[in-house]
Amino acid sequence: MPALFFNIIKLLYLLMLFLFLWQLARAIRSHVGSNPGAQTEGTAAELVVLTGDSETERVRIRPQGHVIGRSPDADIRISDPYSSEFHTRVGIQDGQVVVHDLGSTNGTYVNGRRVTSPTSVSRGDTVQIGKTILEIR
Amino acid sequence: MTRRAESGLIVAAALVAAMGVAIVEFTKGNWLDAQVALTFLVFAGSFGGVQLGVIRWTSGASSLLLPIASFLTAIGFVEIYRINPDAAAVQRWSIMVACLVGLLVLWVLRDTGVAVLRRYRYVLLFVGVGFLLLPLLPETWAIHGATVNGSRLWVRVTVPGTARVLSFQPGEIAKVLITVFLASYLAERAEAMSVVVRKIGPFKIPEPRHLGPVFIAAGAAFVILIYQKDLGASLLLFGIFVAMLYIATGRTFYVIAGVVLASAGAFAAYQTFDHVQRRVQAWLDPFGHFSDAGYQTVQGLFAMGSGALTGSGIGLGRPHLIPAATTDFIFAAIAEEMGLAGALAVLAGFSLLVAVGFGVAIRSRDRFRKYLAGGLTIVIALQALIILGGVLRLLPITGLTLPFLSYGGSSLIANLTIVALLLRISHEERL
Repeated sequence: MPALFFNIIKLLYLLMLFLFLWQLARAIRSHVGSNPGAQTEGTAAELVVLTGDSETERVRIRPQGHVIGRSPDADIRISDPYSSEFHTRVGIQDGQVVVHDLGSTNGTYVNGRRVTSPTSVSRGDTVQIGKTILEIR
Repeated sequence: MTRRAESGLIVAAALVAAMGVAIVEFTKGNWLDAQVALTFLVFAGSFGGVQLGVIRWTSGASSLLLPIASFLTAIGFVEIYRINPDAAAVQRWSIMVACLVGLLVLWVLRDTGVAVLRRYRYVLLFVGVGFLLLPLLPETWAIHGATVNGSRLWVRVTVPGTARVLSFQPGEIAKVLITVFLASYLAERAEAMSVVVRKIGPFKIPEPRHLGPVFIAAGAAFVILIYQKDLGASLLLFGIFVAMLYIATGRTFYVIAGVVLASAGAFAAYQTFDHVQRRVQAWLDPFGHFSDAGYQTVQGLFAMGSGALTGSGIGLGRPHLIPAATTDFIFAAIAEEMGLAGALAVLAGFSLLVAVGFGVAIRSRDRFRKYLAGGLTIVIALQALIILGGVLRLLPITGLTLPFLSYGGSSLIANLTIVALLLRISHEERL
């Protein structure tokens, strides 16, 4: 049965390739997703989801930032039909909270004005993504 | 993912390579031999070595890049070993050298970060352009260009005192240097270049003088096309320019201008050069040109077709029949012996690599790093697209290596350099 034997070896090898890719893809999923262990002190600014369909959330902004969007892999997920999968990144740069639109379709608005380049915001400012309003506190 | 999981995957990729070699030997009737162990050691040692460098100098770097790179290299290596074991022996050296170069990049940038590259951008540009032009050196010099398969992109160096000849493709390294230059140039100019001064219909037109770079790109690509007859490199270089302009400005205008210029250039080239004409005809009707220009494409199509879903099995197909089966057409050889399944595994590997690369770009904080990560990712993505398009007959065939998989030291060194730079950038993003 050499033909059958070779066939089995061939399929096993292909299986090995896909097992490898599957492991990788799983790792990438968690890489894109949130990273809860990495909270550090620093600016104690918080990001509060005020309106929209998502349950109201309140997170302390961590230095490496949060990606906000509709994707299940976004750090802060908002179920807003007008939001892009990965819409905006809110992070801290030189001690300031910076809002950074990630090339979203419908844009990110800070205090009602559309922003296209990284914009620093301070407490009390609002960030609008689709119909969802977030406030920096 | 933890470093532990990363090492696990690197070992797994080394196993993929070693198992492949074992299967090839087995189909020849040999049981396990030294080649299997040697392959495993080379892969685990080289990529593991780079990982040690990562742990030492860029501890915050993404742990996803190295496993993907070693996986793609492993699949390519198996197919090279199957087609030509002697070439595979050389490829093993290339892998070790390329990983050393990767380590070297990590070490050089250990304190300064990639930001230091901005300071030397014009040096990098001149070196890059110089590398591109190097193959034009006359044949009588000690360092001279050489024409292979009608394209002048090789440089040969005669080692003094001996008859040994080293050959390499400087264009592979040049594309990385030019990408670094573009990233730093655009990091300073992008803002001005995205300012809209007028509108024509739905198109927003930036100030005309900002179009300069697009024309320079088109010009450079055209020079390569004319003097080196290298369609692939010319298309790749132009594509990198346009894509990076788009990344930096977000203006579709640059893409449209690029496509218009490229189409005009392609049409002019088709009218003027018969080597371009032959390629296009071989693309449109490969079976009609079976005996000459279409032969390679047709053999590639037969190979992929005969591979079906799971392939003939490694060592059981006839990839020898495809011209350049270890370099440009390695994808056809893989599709023949590992089938659609193996070919999709390769494509999945590239997709994941590109996804991780763009992820690094999105997460970087300053413009330079963002454009650099994006640009380097585009180099790999575009190069893979152009050559895969050629092999699959979606595009005319333009000779380029398939990153990581193809046989060739220059290509591997360039790709590992790209991986090292991406690792460094992903580390800095977390600082």
